[in-house]
Amino acid sequence: MGKRVLLCDDEIHILRAAEFKLKKAGYDVHVANDGQEAWEAIQQQKPDVLITDCQMPRLDGLGLVQKVRADSQLADLPIFMLTAKGFELSHDDLAAKWDVRAVIAKPFSPRELLRQVDAALGETRDTQKDERSRGSDAASD
Amino acid sequence: MNDSNGNRWWIGSALALSSAFGLTWLGGCFFPGAHWSLRVAVLGLGWTMIAGLCWWTHRRIRRESRLLQRYFEALCQWAERQADPANLPPAPTAFPWRGIAEQIETVIRRLQQHVDQSEQRRATLELRCRRAAAETEQIRQIFSGLADPILAVDQYDEIVLANPSAEQLFEIPTQRPESRALARLVRCEKLVQLLSATRQHKTTGHRTDEIELTDDAGHSHWYRATAVKLSDGDDHAVGDGAVVTLRDIGDQKSLQKRNAEFVSSVSHEMKTPLAGIKAYVELLADGDAEDEQTREEFLSVINSQTDRLQRLVDNLLNLARIEAGVVSVSKQHRSLNELLEESLHVVQPSAEAKQIELRAELSPLYLGVRADRDMMLQAAINLLSNAIKYTRQGGSVTLRSRLVDDQARFEVQDTGVGLNEEDCSRVFEKFYRVKKDKDMAAGTGLGLPLAKHIVEDVHGGKLTVESTLGQGSTFIVALPCTGQMLGDH
Repeated sequence: MGKRVLLCDDEIHILRAAEFKLKKAGYDVHVANDGQEAWEAIQQQKPDVLITDCQMPRLDGLGLVQKVRADSQLADLPIFMLTAKGFELSHDDLAAKWDVRAVIAKPFSPRELLRQVDAALGETRDTQKDERSRGSDAASD
Repeated sequence: MNDSNGNRWWIGSALALSSAFGLTWLGGCFFPGAHWSLRVAVLGLGWTMIAGLCWWTHRRIRRESRLLQRYFEALCQWAERQADPANLPPAPTAFPWRGIAEQIETVIRRLQQHVDQSEQRRATLELRCRRAAAETEQIRQIFSGLADPILAVDQYDEIVLANPSAEQLFEIPTQRPESRALARLVRCEKLVQLLSATRQHKTTGHRTDEIELTDDAGHSHWYRATAVKLSDGDDHAVGDGAVVTLRDIGDQKSLQKRNAEFVSSVSHEMKTPLAGIKAYVELLADGDAEDEQTREEFLSVINSQTDRLQRLVDNLLNLARIEAGVVSVSKQHRSLNELLEESLHVVQPSAEAKQIELRAELSPLYLGVRADRDMMLQAAINLLSNAIKYTRQGGSVTLRSRLVDDQARFEVQDTGVGLNEEDCSRVFEKFYRVKKDKDMAAGTGLGLPLAKHIVEDVHGGKLTVESTLGQGSTFIVALPCTGQMLGDH
C-alpha cells in the first residue's frame, strides 16, 4: 500500500478527479467532505500528506490547518491547499504561519498535483524509487 | 463784513451828538442876550435830541444784537441738532453784523451739508452692515448645517474655526478651550500632517487624503479629507492657514469592499466548475480513464460543470440586463407546475450529491401564469439551489405550489440553517451574503436578488421570505394567476 493521502473538499467532482489521479499513481487516498470530517479522519490515522480546500462547511481549510499545526504530533505533516480563492490567500503568509507547503490554485492540473505530492513525499521518502522498486518487485514476481 | 454799512450808525450817532452840542453852542452865540429860559429850552431840546438819539441807538443796537444772538444761538443749537438754517430771519441790508451773520449762516449750511452727507453715508453703511450681518448669519447657518466636518487652522496650527459636525466628530469642546492646538484637539496624526503640509506648501492647490477614524465603540469610519491653503493676502500680516473638509466615504468604501468580495465570489464560483472541467479534460487527455464507463463518467462531469458555469454567467448577465432595463421578455401563458417540475429536474443532482431529500408537493390544479419561461425557470432554480446550499446533509427541501385567492403561489421550504430578522430583510440585496453562513457554501449573492427582480419587476409578482433561525426558511412566490382548472397532471 502506498503513502496515505487525505483529500478534503466539499466539491465532489474535484475530490473524485484528484482521488482518481493519486490512486492511479499508487497512493492510498482517503477523502473527506469538510474540515471536520478530515480532522476526525486524521485523528483516527495520521496521513502522510493533507490536501485541503479552503472554503468548506462546518470547519474550513484554515481552521483545519490550525488544528493540525496545534497538534505536536502533526507538526511535520505536509499540507497543500487546493483553493479557488483569489487574492485573499497568500502562500507566503500561509507558509510562514502554518507551514503550508504550497497553495494550488483552481482550476488545477491533476498532473501538477501529483508532481507536488511526489515532491513532498520525496523529501521524506523517495516515492519514485519506491514505485520503481515496487515495479521491479512486481516484475520479478 | 461790509465796513460802509457796518459803521453807518456810528457815524449817525456822532453827527447827532455833535449837532446837540452845536445847537447848544449856537444858542449861546446867536442869542447872547436871550433869556435864560430860551437858552434852557434850547439846551433841553438839544439834550432831548441827544437822549432820543441815544434811545434810538440803544434800540437799534439791541435789535441788531438780538438778531446776531439768534444767529449764534442757531450755531449753538445746530450742534444739538435743533436748528434749521432755513428758519433764520434774513439779515437786513443795513445790518452792521451782516457779514458775521452771513458767515455763521454759511458755516451752518455747510455743516448741515456735511451732516446730511454723513447721515446718508451712515444710512448706507448701516444697510450694508445689516446685509453683511444677514449674509454672515446665512453663512453661519449653512456652515453649521453642513454634514461634512470642516476645520480651519491658523499659521500656528491652532483651530480658528470648526463647524458643529467637526466639533462632534473630534469631540472639540463648544466653549473656547484654553488651547486650540490642532494636534491636541484632533487625535488623528494623518489629518494633522495634511493640514500642516497644506499650510506650509507654497502653492495654493488642494491636497486630499483618505483618513480612518475609530469611534469609542471601535467602529471604523472613512473620510476623504480635502485641504486648501488659506492665504492672508499680499502683506502676510496674519500668516497662512489651511482649511479641511471631510467627506464621509463609508458607503463608498463599503461598496468597494462589496465589489471586491463580489469579484472574489464570482471568480470562486467560476473557478470551481472550471476546475472540474480542466481536471477531467486532463485526465481524459492523459489516458487515465482506461475504460468506457470511466470516460463516460468524466464526460458527464464536464457536461454538468459546463452547465453550472453557463447558469452562473446567465445569472450575471440577466441581473445586469434587468438592472440596465435592456432585457427582452417573452411572456406567454404557461403552466406554473410544468416550470417547477423542470426546475426540480435541474437541481436534482446537486440535492442527491448532498443527500438532501427533494420533495415536490405540486397543486393538482392547472395554475396558469403569464411568464417568460427561461426567466421564471431561473428564478425557481435559484430559489431551489439556495435552499439546497444552506441545508445540511440529510435535510429536506420541499417545492410546493397552490392557488391562494387569485394568485398562483409556489414555495421553496427547507430545513436549513435559517435566517435572523436582519438577514431576512437584507437577503435580497445584491451581493449580500449571510456572514455566519458564508463558508457553508460558495455563492455570489446574486441568486436571490435576481429571483426577486424576475418575480417582481418582470412578472409583477411578490417574493417574500419567512424564516426561523436554525429551523429553516420558506421563500414564497406569488404570481397573478391567469387561469386554473383541474387535471394539470
